[in-house]
Amino acid sequence: MQTLQVISVNIWQILISLLNLLLLFLVLKKFLYKRVRKMLAERQAAVEASYKKAEDAALHAQEDELAWTKKMQEAEVESSEIIRKASVRAGERRDQILADAKEQAAGIVRQAQQEAALERRRGQEAMKQEIVAVSTLLTEKLLDREINEKDHRKMMDSFIDEIGDYHEGNE
Amino acid sequence: MKKNGRFYFLDCLYLLIMILPILGGIVLRVLTHPAESGVSIRGAQVFCTIPMPVQDLIISESQINSWLVILAVFGLCLYLTHGLSARFPTKRQVVAEWIVEKTEELVYENMGPFFKGFSPFICAILALSGFSSLLTLFGLYPPTSDLNVVAGWAILVFILITYYKMKCGPWQYIKSFGDPVPLLSPLNVISEVATPVSMAFRHYGNVLSGTVISTLVAAGLSGLSAILLGNLPGILGEIPFLQIGIPAVLSVYFDIFSGCLQAYIFAMLTMLYISSGFPADLYEQRKLRKATIKSVSK
Repeated sequence: MQTLQVISVNIWQILISLLNLLLLFLVLKKFLYKRVRKMLAERQAAVEASYKKAEDAALHAQEDELAWTKKMQEAEVESSEIIRKASVRAGERRDQILADAKEQAAGIVRQAQQEAALERRRGQEAMKQEIVAVSTLLTEKLLDREINEKDHRKMMDSFIDEIGDYHEGNE
Repeated sequence: MKKNGRFYFLDCLYLLIMILPILGGIVLRVLTHPAESGVSIRGAQVFCTIPMPVQDLIISESQINSWLVILAVFGLCLYLTHGLSARFPTKRQVVAEWIVEKTEELVYENMGPFFKGFSPFICAILALSGFSSLLTLFGLYPPTSDLNVVAGWAILVFILITYYKMKCGPWQYIKSFGDPVPLLSPLNVISEVATPVSMAFRHYGNVLSGTVISTLVAAGLSGLSAILLGNLPGILGEIPFLQIGIPAVLSVYFDIFSGCLQAYIFAMLTMLYISSGFPADLYEQRKLRKATIKSVSK
């Protein structure tokens, strides 16, 4: 078979080669670039969509957060209000309790004083009787004579009263 | 995507479209080429000649091998883009995306946003030139070492350059030859014509020179082997031992490195010539002016 020279020019071969390059260009464009670009566009769209979704979710979350913080703030205000009310009430109650206690204590003290005074009076009375009896006996024995008990008693009473008055004045 | 029998069948089909052309080319080469030894540097083998006006159309190895490359690349595209999915990329899809994105990046960096649509064309140049040169790895005739093939690409590039230079009207195009002074216009015309010629000859010369040097070195090593080791007894003296290994190193450089490099250079030059020849500022002004005229006349 015949071969060409190393350097040979043939316009038809040149034309064929030119068309070959164009053909390969079209093949690549149609079967590689178009398909890959379409796929890339699809991927881009999918990515955009997922980004959009994520952004929406973030926005939603932000709204939620805002609402919740607002609610939290309201709750805080409410709770502080409740606490304040409660403390006010507790204070009132405490005052009342204190007042009651004081009153009660005062009552108890007063009663005790009354009782003490009563006791003392009773004691004084008993002592008077005793003293009168003893002094009567003593004078009877000492003087060994009959005295008018009635007069005697009168005298004694006045005497003891004087002593009592003196006592009380010293207290 | 669910993988069923049909999917695997199509996969096999695409792989066959990719591999069969190369195998067919090898078979054709083996059937048509006589075994040869020694120095023989020849052009492409002619398969048939069709009478045409001006010159006969010759269908030679370069044309056949170019078509085989196109067919193989077509199969590769089909295989890579088979079963694309936006959410679950397969390995081959990653490769396809890488090719598309890298070429688009390259075109965008070198040509700017106006020439965005050029990436398939640049990819076509890279693929056709690169794979054509790499055919030598299979022992096939590389179409890029035929001047006609590369000249065809260079002329296409020249047409594109001129088309984009003419975007601002033929008058602008003619005026551009008078830059910077009208006296230099002959030089400008020469440089304009020299562009495709230099592109074609650079590519063709590089690939052909690789073949020539490889052949010469192989022949030289065979002779050297005969001189140095010819005295070995029996069949040992006939084996060209020096031909083992050394041509492989040259092949790595000339067939793989040089082939890929020339494809890259051709693509780069295409991009640079087209984008630098295009008067972008003038084009913008013109477009603006036209738009204002349109709006005024309305």
